[in-house]
Amino acid sequence: MKTQTLVELLARGAGPAPRHVAARRLLPAAGFGVLASAALALALIGPIPAALYATAAPWVKLGYAAVLAAAALWLTATLSRPVARPLRPGRAVAAVVAAMGLIGLVALLATPAGERMTALLGHSALACPGNVLALSLPALAAALWALRGLAPTRPHAAGAAAGLLAGALGAAGYALACTETSPGFVAAWYSLGIGLTAALGAIVGPRVLRW
Amino acid sequence: MTDDAVHNDFESGLKPLWLRAQAGDEAAYRDALARIATRLRGYLRRRLQSLPDDVEDLVQETLLALHLQRGTYDPTIPVSAWVLAIARHKLVDLWRRRGRRDDLHDALDDVDEAALIAAPDEGEASRDLDRLLQQLPAAQRRAILLTKVEGLSVDEASQRTGASASAIKVQVHRGLKRLAQLVKTQRP
Repeated sequence: MKTQTLVELLARGAGPAPRHVAARRLLPAAGFGVLASAALALALIGPIPAALYATAAPWVKLGYAAVLAAAALWLTATLSRPVARPLRPGRAVAAVVAAMGLIGLVALLATPAGERMTALLGHSALACPGNVLALSLPALAAALWALRGLAPTRPHAAGAAAGLLAGALGAAGYALACTETSPGFVAAWYSLGIGLTAALGAIVGPRVLRW
Repeated sequence: MTDDAVHNDFESGLKPLWLRAQAGDEAAYRDALARIATRLRGYLRRRLQSLPDDVEDLVQETLLALHLQRGTYDPTIPVSAWVLAIARHKLVDLWRRRGRRDDLHDALDDVDEAALIAAPDEGEASRDLDRLLQQLPAAQRRAILLTKVEGLSVDEASQRTGASASAIKVQVHRGLKRLAQLVKTQRP
């Protein structure tokens, strides 16, 4: 086949370039991911008592997860294009994690010194990161699948961004099943679970993000 | 002229064409792709000196990728940088498949747009279009033949086949995607 033949074939009837391709692929993946993690959390771990929704506890987690998911979605969309410039969305992600860290720290400092360790570790510190990671797996698969149909040229970074997004969505699902109440707990252990998911994304990225 | 001046010339000639192509101007798109093909040939020829038979295959693979991913172009960046990032991605992919990791040391990270030197002679890859099309599912092959080879509009192709216009568009896109896969995996 002559290259000129291919050029003519590609151009003929090509029409305008599709628009908003990243949003059109990533948003449905994110929607699926959050529904899957919520369904799994409610089915496998069970819902928190309804009375807890009258306290700040689940809303802190859901708020953190939602804002982080938005920043991670921006980062993932940026890295889904060739010649990505991820500096600003990367800073946004860092700012969200840092803000949660600060809130957690202030909350811990406001706790009487003798109870700080209990507040930080809660009753499920060891289980939390693993649960967030596990509940993030459907979202991670969906986000990587969505990215595969786009054009990421930095597969480690794009995989990590997809993992960050998936981790935030998994954390949102886990918030519906987690009875911990301390912001310090959320800042430490939710963030660790989300970080683990991002690391997993960075590891599998180069393998699956071939196009 | 220096490499930089050559490059700036290339970008300033390409960008307006490319923007019109993105908006749906078919003639501008054809012109832009032809210019890009010429530059890609020069770029890849330099980097595939040990695999000269792969140059035209990779030019075509990159053009297919550019077309399938044209929605990811961001008007704030130079077209040539976007093109090169995709070409480099395809080059790394080829080396990986060929198990030639040593070539990866060739400063793949910097976007050296001046590297898009021209290599004007018309290239022909070893693969035959008809044979590639034969391997597509029937609906995809028919959609591509009608709209891309015979040059019917999507509406005409829709009337001819009884499929809806959007179904034709989807089949063309999927067919080209499948074609890109075939081009990649079936190197003689």
